[in-house]
Amino acid sequence: MHSKLTFSKYSLAMIAAGAAIISSPTFALNIFVCEPEWEALLTSHAPNATIYSATTAKQDPHYVQARPSLIAKMRQADMAMCSGAELEVGWLPMLQARSSNRAVQNGAPSMIYASDFIGMLDTHDHVDRSMGDIHAAGNPHVQFAANQMISLSHVITERLKNIDPDNVPLYQENGSKFRTHWQQKMNEWSEKAAPLRGKQVVGYHETYRYLYDWLGMKQVADLEPKPGVSPTTSHLQSLTKLDANTFDVIVYSSHQNQRPANWLHEFTDKPIIQLPLTVSKGQRLDEMVDQVIDDLLDVLVTPEPEAP
Amino acid sequence: MNKKFLSLAVGSLMASSAYANTLSNPQIGVVLDGYYQDGERNNSERSEGFGLGHTELNMSANIDDKFFGSLTTVIESHGDETELLLEEAFIETLALPYGLNVRAGRFLSDFGYLNNQHMHTDSFSERPVAYRTFLGSHYYDDGVRASIVLPTDMYVKFGVEALSGGKMSSVEDASTVGVYMANLKLGNDFSDSSSWQFGLSYLRNENGKVSEFEDDHSHDSDHDHDHSHAAAITGSNLYGADLVWKWAPDGNYKYSNLTLAAEYMLLDGVVGSEYKDNTNSPDNLSAYYVSGVYRFNPSWSAGVRYGEAESYSGSPAHFHAINDTEMDLMIAWNASHFGTIRAQYSRVENQESHKSSETDNVFTLQYTMTFGAHAAHAF
Repeated sequence: MHSKLTFSKYSLAMIAAGAAIISSPTFALNIFVCEPEWEALLTSHAPNATIYSATTAKQDPHYVQARPSLIAKMRQADMAMCSGAELEVGWLPMLQARSSNRAVQNGAPSMIYASDFIGMLDTHDHVDRSMGDIHAAGNPHVQFAANQMISLSHVITERLKNIDPDNVPLYQENGSKFRTHWQQKMNEWSEKAAPLRGKQVVGYHETYRYLYDWLGMKQVADLEPKPGVSPTTSHLQSLTKLDANTFDVIVYSSHQNQRPANWLHEFTDKPIIQLPLTVSKGQRLDEMVDQVIDDLLDVLVTPEPEAP
Repeated sequence: MNKKFLSLAVGSLMASSAYANTLSNPQIGVVLDGYYQDGERNNSERSEGFGLGHTELNMSANIDDKFFGSLTTVIESHGDETELLLEEAFIETLALPYGLNVRAGRFLSDFGYLNNQHMHTDSFSERPVAYRTFLGSHYYDDGVRASIVLPTDMYVKFGVEALSGGKMSSVEDASTVGVYMANLKLGNDFSDSSSWQFGLSYLRNENGKVSEFEDDHSHDSDHDHDHSHAAAITGSNLYGADLVWKWAPDGNYKYSNLTLAAEYMLLDGVVGSEYKDNTNSPDNLSAYYVSGVYRFNPSWSAGVRYGEAESYSGSPAHFHAINDTEMDLMIAWNASHFGTIRAQYSRVENQESHKSSETDNVFTLQYTMTFGAHAAHAF
């Protein structure tokens, strides 16, 4: 009798201690993201979480070292989110393997690939490396698929609720707040960006494929001879022969070398725009979309006063 | 109507099976490595003239949600002979708690910095002379490994291995489990643009000490003929320290980056204590290398490496101390991420205690290309 009592007392204490650990208010989710845009998106959904981004806005996410600090961060993650579609294929699998963390292995609900929930563009049945660095699963630069963030937000909310059941109301509330706000912004953007419809671009990599698709713009030529292959003189030479009427602007990203764009600019006199690759530090995802649309409007539309 | 339905059904069947294939197929990757070489480096796997280096066929996949499996075969040809070697055939856990990981089968030992990396990811056409002398270029073996990564912001990994040790054995009746290895890896970022990793390793070789000598000069002449992939020199204890530092402007590795690496190894218990007082008796043999590789644009990189390794030849009656030094200069062109053409010049100096030193110039022109699945690279 006596021993039974102490046992139950002991187990009660254990349960209490366990519960205290699990439901302690200081418990914060540790989230690992591959790119800063997912940090921005997740901050809106889980403001209490500690989020670490493997890359910065100045780094090309195709070329990242599987460095020790990233393995250490991956080891501690309760959840991870990346673009997917093989964008991170050169380093993420190494981090997953070396971290020995179940939560970040493929197939775990706490490992989210954005491209699994986005209507992918440019998928290929047949991929050959002679075509350059292309991905069978489609273009992986899904951070600019603004018109699909609401469905992504639903997925994130569900996963967060699943991983951290103690904070379900918080995730529910933040998720719906995000979606309401995003819907408002979508209405605002589609009105504001209407003058961009039909604009044609010479780009540097297919980074803005989803943005152009959404806004009705088109990338007619690429400074890269093939995806992922750096611009060559002979390829740039061929671009100078493009009919000047077929494009309006040259676009490159903040992390890229600006020389090829300048070079084409000197030959064609077309304006250049540097667009962000991702959010800047502390920027929200909708602020990034605001910035991209404003940057495009500044150069492409403001000179002709056509304000509605 | 019926036809339409049929074609739709067939179409969707094909589409879904194609999708399923990409999911369930193992990752298959091939590495092609060929070269022309003028001269030969000491304790090297590459001989003079045209040759094929490390031609690899790798297959790997998640077996289920708990295990990962990988198989790497290496095809090497030396003259008329073609060898098929099994370099890796292991399973590894995916779902152990607390950052634990267990690997079993045949695999590359985690000793030092370079050893666990595949040769085709190297920046130079051969492993440093330290590796060629003490580890048989790269040491793989049958056994088990357990490792743990601590949940800290600084990368801290501790690992232990138990291996058969056959390739490291210098005795006739070797212990079944000949090699034990323990290592510690630490690493972190200095800033967005630079990162470091430091490692300490200890390898205990139960069969490493040479106690019986058959006849004069048997020890080194053995290894000159066949490419046995065994270590040229063994001892009871091998200690290693390694340091790597990588830098890229803003941490963007696409356009330019710099890698500096250095390793030091110390081997002791080389011959039985009864020979300790003989002239030139080898004990405490050391080896090291330092290297720097700078990628100055996406297609071109250049590097320099300097290394030394102490070894010995002969038998107790006439031990000879050997000191190999090697200076390598290389330049490499990357057609893409998957193909490299490399030119390397090495100045090799072999100093034996009973001879005057020999100096050799070795020139290698080499390609290393991969197709199929391309595994992510380690730091």
